[in-house]
Amino acid sequence: MNPNRLPVRPGEVIDRETSLAFTWNGRPHTGHRGDTIASALAADGVDVFARSMKYKRRRGIMTADHWDPNLFVQVGDEPNVRAGSRRLVAGMEVSAQNVWPNLRFDIGAANQLVGRFLSSGFYYKTFMRPKWLWHHLYQKVLRKFAPGGRIHWETSTHGAYDKRYAHPDVLVAGGGPAGMGAAIAAAEAGASVMLVEHEPDLGGHLRWGDADDLAVLADLAAAVESHPGIEVLVDSTVTGRYDHNWIAVMQRSHEIAPERLIKARAGSLVVAPGLIERPYVFAGNDTPGVMLSGAVRRLINLWAVRPGTRAVVLSANPEGDAAIADLEAAGVEIVAALDARAGEDIVEVEGRGRVGNVVLGDGRTVSADLVVIGTGWTAPTSLLNMAGDRPVYDPTAARYFPNQLPDDVLATGGITGNGTTAELVEHGRATGTLAANRALRNRHDRRSSTARARSPEGPIPESLHDTRASLARTPHPECYRSSSHGMVDFSEDVSSKDLVQASREGFDSIELMKRYTTVTMGPSQGKLETVNAAAVLAETRSMDMVDIGTTVWRPPFAPISLGALAGRIFEPIRRSALQDWHEDHGASPLLAGQWVRPDHYGDPVAEARNVRENVGIIDVTPLGKLDLRGPDVTKLLELVYVNRWQKLDVGRVRYGTMVAEDGVVSDDGVTGRLGEDHYLMTTTSSGAGAIWEMLEDYLQTYRPDWNVHVTAVTGGLTSINVAGPRCRELLLRLVEGVDLSPDAFPYFHVRRGTVAGVPDCIIWRIGFTGELSYEVHVPSGHALHVWESLLANGEDLGIMPFGVESQRILRLEKGHYIVGQDTDGLTKAPSAGLGGLVKLDKPDTLGLPELRAAYARTDLPILVAIQTDDPEVVPMEADQIVDGDSNRILGRITSSRMSPTLGRSVCLGQVDPSLAAAGSKVTILLIDGRRILGTVQEHHAHVDPEGVRQNA
Amino acid sequence: MARHGYKYSAGKLIRHGLTRGDWPRMWRRPEARSSYDVVIIGGGLHGLATAYYLAHNHGMTNIAVVDKGYLGGGGSGRNTAIVRSNYLTPEGVAFYDRSLDLYNSMAQDLNLNVMFSRRGHLTLAHTDSALRTMHWRAEVNKLQGIDSSVIDPQEVKKQAPSLDVSADTRYPILGALFHPPGGIVRHDAVVWGYARAADHLGVHMLQETEVLDILCEGGEGPDGKGAGGRVTGVRTSRGDISAPAVVNCTAGWASLISNMAGVPLPITTHPLQAAVTEPCKVFLPTVVVSGSLHVYVSQTDRGELVFGASVDPVGTYRVNGTLEFTEELAGHVLELMPGISKMRLLRQWSGLCDMTPDYSPVMGTTQVDGYFVDVGWGTYGFKAGPVAGETMAETIATGRDADLIAPFTISRFTEGDLVGEKGAAAVGH
Amino acid sequence: MIVVNCPHCGPRNSSDLRPCGEVTTRPDPATASLSEWRTYLYLRENPAGWVTETWYCRSGCRRYFTIERNTATNETRSSEAS
Repeated sequence: MNPNRLPVRPGEVIDRETSLAFTWNGRPHTGHRGDTIASALAADGVDVFARSMKYKRRRGIMTADHWDPNLFVQVGDEPNVRAGSRRLVAGMEVSAQNVWPNLRFDIGAANQLVGRFLSSGFYYKTFMRPKWLWHHLYQKVLRKFAPGGRIHWETSTHGAYDKRYAHPDVLVAGGGPAGMGAAIAAAEAGASVMLVEHEPDLGGHLRWGDADDLAVLADLAAAVESHPGIEVLVDSTVTGRYDHNWIAVMQRSHEIAPERLIKARAGSLVVAPGLIERPYVFAGNDTPGVMLSGAVRRLINLWAVRPGTRAVVLSANPEGDAAIADLEAAGVEIVAALDARAGEDIVEVEGRGRVGNVVLGDGRTVSADLVVIGTGWTAPTSLLNMAGDRPVYDPTAARYFPNQLPDDVLATGGITGNGTTAELVEHGRATGTLAANRALRNRHDRRSSTARARSPEGPIPESLHDTRASLARTPHPECYRSSSHGMVDFSEDVSSKDLVQASREGFDSIELMKRYTTVTMGPSQGKLETVNAAAVLAETRSMDMVDIGTTVWRPPFAPISLGALAGRIFEPIRRSALQDWHEDHGASPLLAGQWVRPDHYGDPVAEARNVRENVGIIDVTPLGKLDLRGPDVTKLLELVYVNRWQKLDVGRVRYGTMVAEDGVVSDDGVTGRLGEDHYLMTTTSSGAGAIWEMLEDYLQTYRPDWNVHVTAVTGGLTSINVAGPRCRELLLRLVEGVDLSPDAFPYFHVRRGTVAGVPDCIIWRIGFTGELSYEVHVPSGHALHVWESLLANGEDLGIMPFGVESQRILRLEKGHYIVGQDTDGLTKAPSAGLGGLVKLDKPDTLGLPELRAAYARTDLPILVAIQTDDPEVVPMEADQIVDGDSNRILGRITSSRMSPTLGRSVCLGQVDPSLAAAGSKVTILLIDGRRILGTVQEHHAHVDPEGVRQNA
Repeated sequence: MARHGYKYSAGKLIRHGLTRGDWPRMWRRPEARSSYDVVIIGGGLHGLATAYYLAHNHGMTNIAVVDKGYLGGGGSGRNTAIVRSNYLTPEGVAFYDRSLDLYNSMAQDLNLNVMFSRRGHLTLAHTDSALRTMHWRAEVNKLQGIDSSVIDPQEVKKQAPSLDVSADTRYPILGALFHPPGGIVRHDAVVWGYARAADHLGVHMLQETEVLDILCEGGEGPDGKGAGGRVTGVRTSRGDISAPAVVNCTAGWASLISNMAGVPLPITTHPLQAAVTEPCKVFLPTVVVSGSLHVYVSQTDRGELVFGASVDPVGTYRVNGTLEFTEELAGHVLELMPGISKMRLLRQWSGLCDMTPDYSPVMGTTQVDGYFVDVGWGTYGFKAGPVAGETMAETIATGRDADLIAPFTISRFTEGDLVGEKGAAAVGH
Repeated sequence: MIVVNCPHCGPRNSSDLRPCGEVTTRPDPATASLSEWRTYLYLRENPAGWVTETWYCRSGCRRYFTIERNTATNETRSSEAS
């Protein structure tokens, strides 16, 4: 039923017992388990798989592997699937990409007729006038030609991928004969080995070889798989080598995730990727039916697919010759066997949907449906380049070879030279031994230098010298281009003629040529085309290939899905011990930095009013809290705060502002003295982490002689602010061991006591809301009990919980600024209106020279309280303050709300110093374009500037 | 421009197509002279634009642009090609707005289609404080005549339907700053446009010529370098060139070059990485930026998604990239567009960014007479290229700092004020 | 992902630590001129080669320490722990 399926082949990988049904462009097909999408379709007689990007030319199988640029298909919701390597699964819905309306007839193919006008970079030279036409028409037309598959928005696999860390001594990239040899020798030397093979099975080119090859493969694979020190990953690709041998491995066939990213810190990396076969440039070289020798050998030997019926073969090497034998065995008629070593050549292929006629170098034209090319190899040096190597071209062997590698990266196999299978294995073994030696020495060093690791076993292994005999560089003709011009980059539709033109226009270095023509920029990323491109440039400039260089190979070696790179996202949200309660009681969540907090419980204005009239409680746990102990805490506080701290008695609390070394306000909060050498510092929620690290920095690197111990207790203590005129009455019912009377426990003092039966709570009187208020810091395990006890005992007092929004209203009424909202990245201390708080006569404080300079200036903006003359209008935060009717900016509103207490709008804003005096009129530009007047207030506080309420 | 040059047009395209005739070279490979009026170090966008405007606006054509590699091989060819003018500070807005104007007419001015795609630019806000900053920027922008406004999540969805604007995500989209004139430009074409136009006006571009030293006399430091001295030329890998004016238009190596003149810079060099996916049919019409998620993304006309992020935390001159960049990038992009989880990352690369303390450049005259700097561009160099060239040319031609760059001179680090872009700049693309 | 050798915790992925940049010397703020102070704040050697820099072992011992790193190659070697 598969017309092109051959009788059983000795090395075939298909399971003929199975029949997998799938569709291709809506039509039913079948294949076997072990087939790729491409092999199944080829077995069914499909020739054309895609249309090319620019000229919409028909394209068929060329390399029959992962790198085949002509075999990109859509499978269900997955775009850009490589049909050359993706194994067939029953039920796949496969369709061609890049076609409109369909594969057989594509309107864009008309581009072929005008191709002579669409030379490289043609778009840079036209579409310039009129300008509007570019924006409205040309660009839209260009975008219609975008290649690639389609995203299905209704499905996403985000979050379904897994990641893994690994620490092999030796990681071997490539499971061919050399790679397997390296893995075995490294494991025998005592190294832990990870062997990564791109294909679904070990073996490399042996897999499609003759009976001898298959026998060697079986022995090697058995040795690899039976060694306990080797972990084998097939259908997996080493995609990148980063600094310090951080290796990315993409594992595709994994049972618990669609793909898995393995991040390996390898002692040594052995690079054994083999070689990639190189296309040949001639007219019509992209016609369906033109295949590389490896492709036909794989089709015949792995999947038992007859690639054609009448073949012309152009061979320059033994692998090309072997293809002739395979073709004959598969019953393909050899119309012409051309030997490139003897100067025989192909000039042109004619045919649209399939090869028809072939024009040979001697002028003959023959009829054939298959052209097989075996004209040379590209060394996939990607991982070596990532390790800093600059491979060098060898004209004798007509390919690039590794040059200088760091000690922890070694190369073996075909990338380093030619040899018999036995020679490749032997080179691999020697490389594996060396890699293991270096890795084990490295492991010994690492263990020795790690205080807490288990110490290394035995003495450090003696260093081995690199005594490997190099593999031969067998002479190979430099076959890049025939006498005709043809396709160089099949993904991008860039021909050799385009490259010649680009060079003549001045794009005569390989990088400039790449950028102008887009050669090597498509999905192939140079694997098939980079050497041919360099060859065309060398020819055009009459230079040696050695001097041309290549484009830089960059990671990843093979494309990686975004889902696999992302893995699962671990960015947890911090929750206070009370957050469940908040959510159970209707709190509207507010994401604030790392935390989720209750924004309000339904009516923030009512909550705020209740605080002014009765009593409210708010969960302020995210407030940064640092426990400071030691005899030198005072010195630390003097250093990091702008104000004085020497005379803070035990039991007192003080407000402080911090500036960075550049004088810019960085944080603020209160710090209380709990004992002789014991303080609790609070920071802003967002600054908590940074302030902790900053304190440690100065303590460790600047004043290591100071004796201070800092412990972060933000999450350990749940902080509840109890605020409102009736809060003392409430706390009297719940607090034991503390005299709450105003004289005994005044404003800005701290006490420790029992709250609702929970001992050792810290209670301090502060007032962000401007009300009488106590902030209670409770060990978090008891927080819910305390919170519920407060609510239960305050019921008759009118208690209500309040959220962040109400707190913002209340603090603005009171004129307390928020660092980062009312200040910004340039706000120096005087601008924040800190006035006398800042002490410039201290011997040392952060940013002191900047503070001195700032206080000497008169041109810095000032933070002031502003009230709009029309009390009903609430400007938006960030509305600009302008100079009358002009657009000159003189400041901005930094905070604004409708005040429930005053029944009018209230603001804070930064203004030019000329407007900072109380009573100054400012013009506020509203978002709707209206300009309104406001008046600068005498105090920051709109409500209770004397502090009667908070001091009650 | 380029009256002596070969003019590109649709007609020429057809004629060349029919005759199959060669196109003329865009620029020559000239032999270096022993002296020039101005030597510009760095053959990227900034150096070439400076040369072009010196020649075009000020009639100075005895100019050499020297580069150790090929034209546009540094940041000019590695950036993500986004342009916009919706900055936070009035000085930033004025500067970049002029740049956007120059981009807008560049295809006509330089007779090369730089493919400016004025597709609109969205800066997403995921927190109420970010939203407040967006409002701040929008208000400052509007006062200076810039089309910029804050839009709500529904409108965001209309502009970029692939974004997930639902409320139950880790970083919900609360709104965005929408800047319709922003967009992307074909970055290489900009370099070639200036190079071609400068070449036609007589400027010499000396590729593969490395500057080894800046020659000075009279300065307080060793070899006559440093404050109080003056420049006499440069030493290159192809010999000495004398010149009374030397301009440092490099990125990545600005500190090293500037030390050659005895002018230390407030710069640390960090890699900025970018990546591109395989192509998919076009679905993203605008540029999307998220500061909280450290990512910016646009889709080329070829269907590839181009991604960028913030600079690497570790300062280094290495440009081989990191795996963690791609991991974080993918994670953050998928938070915004979960639908593209099966798209594949094709290529990652990185360039070097010279970061200053206030995320603003260092431009203009220095304490060494005849030594000019156009450095410290951080992650903004591409956007500013045209206006930087125009203002540097004016500065060099007149000997005094152009008005638009007055906020950016080196003296702000010793006496004046830093520029306030830092707050809005963490990922400001 | 480079490896940074914490003198207390041993070799660690750099993501476990926070880079704090070149080691600087803080002038005495009581006597420093504004220009000396700004040199400390803003000017950096920024060499393409070996530099002594501070790291903070954020996910480990929470110690600040210095190492030497070659900014052209990312090789590291030990320096005196601070």
